[in-house]
Amino acid sequence: MTASLERGLNAFREVMDAPIASFFNSCVHCGLCADACLFHTETGDPKYTPIHKLEPLRKLWKREYTLLGKLTSLLGLGATISDEELEEWSPLVYDSCTLCGRCTLMCPVGNDITYMIRKMREGMAASGHAPAGLIDATRRSIELGSPMGIKPKTFMARVHEQQEETGIEIPVDKAGADYMAIMSSMEIMGYPEYLGSLARIFKQAGISWTVSSEAFEATNSGIQIGVSDLAREIVMRIVTVSEKLGVKYVISPECGHAFTALRWDGPNLIGRPYKFEVVHILELLDQLLKDGRLKTEGKTAESLTLHDPCQIVRRGGIVAEPRNLINMVASDFREMEDAGVYNWCCGGGGGVSAITRAEELRFTVFKIKKRQIENTGAGTMITACANCRNVLEEGLEHYNMDTKMIGITELVAEYLKKDEP
Amino acid sequence: MADENSLGAILRAQGVSRRGFLKFCSAMAALMALPPSMVPAIAAALDKALRPSVIWLSFQECTGCTESLTRSHTPTLEALIFDAISLDYHHTLQAASGEAAEAARAEAMKKFYGKYLLVVDGSIPTKDGGVYSTIAGMSNLDMLQEAAKGAAAIMAVGTCAAFGGIPHANPNPTGAVAVSDIIKDKPIINVSGCPPIPVVITGVLAHYLTFGTLPELDDLGRPKVFYGESIHDRCYRRPFYDQGKFAKTFDDEGARNGWCLFELGCKGPTTFNACATTKWNQGTSFPIESGHGCLGCSEPNFWDAGSFYQALSTPITPVGKAAAVAAAAGIVGGAAIAMHNRHVKGAAKSEHQTVTVKDLEK
Repeated sequence: MTASLERGLNAFREVMDAPIASFFNSCVHCGLCADACLFHTETGDPKYTPIHKLEPLRKLWKREYTLLGKLTSLLGLGATISDEELEEWSPLVYDSCTLCGRCTLMCPVGNDITYMIRKMREGMAASGHAPAGLIDATRRSIELGSPMGIKPKTFMARVHEQQEETGIEIPVDKAGADYMAIMSSMEIMGYPEYLGSLARIFKQAGISWTVSSEAFEATNSGIQIGVSDLAREIVMRIVTVSEKLGVKYVISPECGHAFTALRWDGPNLIGRPYKFEVVHILELLDQLLKDGRLKTEGKTAESLTLHDPCQIVRRGGIVAEPRNLINMVASDFREMEDAGVYNWCCGGGGGVSAITRAEELRFTVFKIKKRQIENTGAGTMITACANCRNVLEEGLEHYNMDTKMIGITELVAEYLKKDEP
Repeated sequence: MADENSLGAILRAQGVSRRGFLKFCSAMAALMALPPSMVPAIAAALDKALRPSVIWLSFQECTGCTESLTRSHTPTLEALIFDAISLDYHHTLQAASGEAAEAARAEAMKKFYGKYLLVVDGSIPTKDGGVYSTIAGMSNLDMLQEAAKGAAAIMAVGTCAAFGGIPHANPNPTGAVAVSDIIKDKPIINVSGCPPIPVVITGVLAHYLTFGTLPELDDLGRPKVFYGESIHDRCYRRPFYDQGKFAKTFDDEGARNGWCLFELGCKGPTTFNACATTKWNQGTSFPIESGHGCLGCSEPNFWDAGSFYQALSTPITPVGKAAAVAAAAGIVGGAAIAMHNRHVKGAAKSEHQTVTVKDLEK
């Protein structure tokens, strides 16, 4: 109960680095970011223009970091930032930004608006303007170990269940293994078959791997709510365990934000390089495919399309890998319009799916995905992010669409070459 | 059928087929960035156009511009078009000489007063009363002023006429200036280049014949359709620039691989011309394709812009004392502001209280 405006403004001052200052300076007000953002295109409301979502942060930059701003505030003319204003901006900074990075990609002067929103959330959280749903998820992450409240016991139950299902042993806490796999809570709760699929693929490829009974959760609510102190603590759990077990690689699950948090933000948060490498599961599978260690047989005749998760494609650079894998097991793969790095977000990334009050808005902006899916005419949609998958399934249900959903890893595992007796 | 003196009639008399003529019109439409729907309009206008009178004055120049236009290996359609205008005076090309030549000029100026197109190549010397270049005892300066009076428009062909060119280069002993420095009351179109691309000259002529007006010009008075984009933006070596792959000498691995010539002094990024698209010698190539950087010949003061082999990022003259002081002051001022900003940020950092989950609510 200690959040305050002063702490929030202090956080704004703290995040004000050279990139942010130069981004604010170089914005030419062209408005191209508006048409890049699904919250603007689907609602037509100009308040959802990405750069506008940063207004309070920009005000502070202007007042305290520019010569003119300093002079005017000396004269008592500078704009001030109030608690009411931050409260008004909270839905803009949280509910209507999935940190998807499309605006950043479109900005003609190269301003990383996504980076700025992420930084702005530091001040919003510290001043007590983070949405309740996200606060609850973060609390569960810190206190219980997972935003969905999954405890080690639950996870171990899932491991045993998948072991029985597949008849393959899933190594737990095995020191010296090459790979350590982690999962997102959405996978543990909703799509545990991901774990079974891993077991089957890794058995065929002969990979030495393990899961951890302590650090199994990849989702980082600290990143989503915008509190580096908490994000660091969450990343550190994985770092500590994987360095204790001495694994060479940590496999990021399909989940997009988990990948961003672990791969890109993690070392900056803890202030040192990892002693292991982070690979995304799609990168690993594609590598196995190239090395000839991943063998499949048969192809599905079902018409498929792919939803590219923003954090994996746009912010993560993994574009060709999912396509290599899909084409290996599918004969009717149809690309969506704007596929690849220009793809549109599912509408629930960046913590938005945890915000209860944003539900209606999420369905509104889902219309773009709906159009994209319908234009392909495909019967099944594949994605590589458990959170996208969950948001998409909700959207499909809301609009009474009968498109089926599947994750890439499970799809590949389904067509694995049967063991020779 | 149009007038027997019309361009169409003349071209047909010279054995140019209708198809060949339309091909030329399409090429012109494309070059001038007009929509394809304009092709019939161009054809109709050119077909009916009467041979407009052109007076061509050559001043302080090397005849390279005339060479560029006329030296084509086969008589191209461009050359025929050129034949088809009434070139009433051009002292390099005309058969007449002496008084007869000057009389032809005087007659054309009188007969077509207010309608003829004046083409100028070469700069105009102004020092010492313009004595450094005279024709038939008349200084270039006087001749230009006299001929400009009755001109409908003036085409300054070549960098000398457009911007002063090489005669204008430091120390400019003859006080050479561009046409636009002297004539202020006539539309002037600058077709720069040393020399300019032939098709650019004929393109402007075709535009003038078709629409009776001059094409849209850039801030240096050049037709935007040909000078709207830099050599760099249209260069086939541009991808190497974007990848940071540069030839460092003219015979290294990079040069052999055809990498970007920026570091060898290529002026492509600051030069606006159509070389990279229309190319030279009937579309054979352009300088960069032959392995040499662009000299920037269609830009003002290209001769004084430092060595042709010095990369654009290197300063061409020593930084002056005032500039150095200003830069130093700027650095100090900037550093002071940066220090202060750093202080604000640093203070914020030291005031940072670790945010726990308990701190997320008020």
